[in-house]
Amino acid sequence: MAKKAYAFELKNDQSELEHLCHKCEELGKSVGLSDKSIFEMNLALDELFTNIISYGFQDHREHIIKIKITVDDLYLLMRIEDDGIPFNPLESETPDLQCDLEKCQIGGLGIHLIKKMMDDVQYQRIAGKNVIFLKRKISPQPEQGMTSKK
Amino acid sequence: MEIKVEKQEAVSVFKLNGRLDSNTSQGFEEEIFSAITDGSKQMVIDFKDIDYISSAGLRVILKATKALKREEGKIMLCSMQDYVKEVFEIAGFDAFLPIVGSMDEALNAF
Repeated sequence: MAKKAYAFELKNDQSELEHLCHKCEELGKSVGLSDKSIFEMNLALDELFTNIISYGFQDHREHIIKIKITVDDLYLLMRIEDDGIPFNPLESETPDLQCDLEKCQIGGLGIHLIKKMMDDVQYQRIAGKNVIFLKRKISPQPEQGMTSKK
Repeated sequence: MEIKVEKQEAVSVFKLNGRLDSNTSQGFEEEIFSAITDGSKQMVIDFKDIDYISSAGLRVILKATKALKREEGKIMLCSMQDYVKEVFEIAGFDAFLPIVGSMDEALNAF
């Protein structure tokens, strides 16, 4: 598969999650990604988007979150850009996974999921914008013979 | 997301269909906590028709599990797709949440 790139924008509104989901499915199906890869792409973008709209903006104005997705034979690359306050979500505390039920805290769980699920996650502050880069190996379609267990 | 609640003797069974994310988790939380308020102590959550979960969904499951534990109740999760189950594993929730393959196994645990 040749490299293909897609870009779209979301407003800083919770209801845009649905738009994000449709975009992930449409794009994933158009390049033949497995359900697992579509799920991982959607989850990572959902968690970052939800984080950005929850904590990124101190005014009540409309903001645009720009998403770019590149797919090649092996990898899914995602870039998320917002013009919110400088914030590196990767520096947030990792929840204690050895915790028992009563102590288990939920803060930072979304970011933790991304860090564990993605193969690489980077943050950069570029020209006044927060930019996050995600990289994830594509999972093959299960029905195409050889399946790989991670 | 659709939520169907059924009673199987003393067990409240929640059958979810669709996506459990930050748009739908609040409705699910209200549904599950109204059952707890009504005295339900045994619950099964059927994930058979859930094809998406995010940390917002995990958060509701965690809150419900804690609430039920205080009531000396019990929650069972069943019939997850592999990649949904993987999210519970990555979050470390499989350490304290019983996740089983089928509805029968879940109901037999009570």
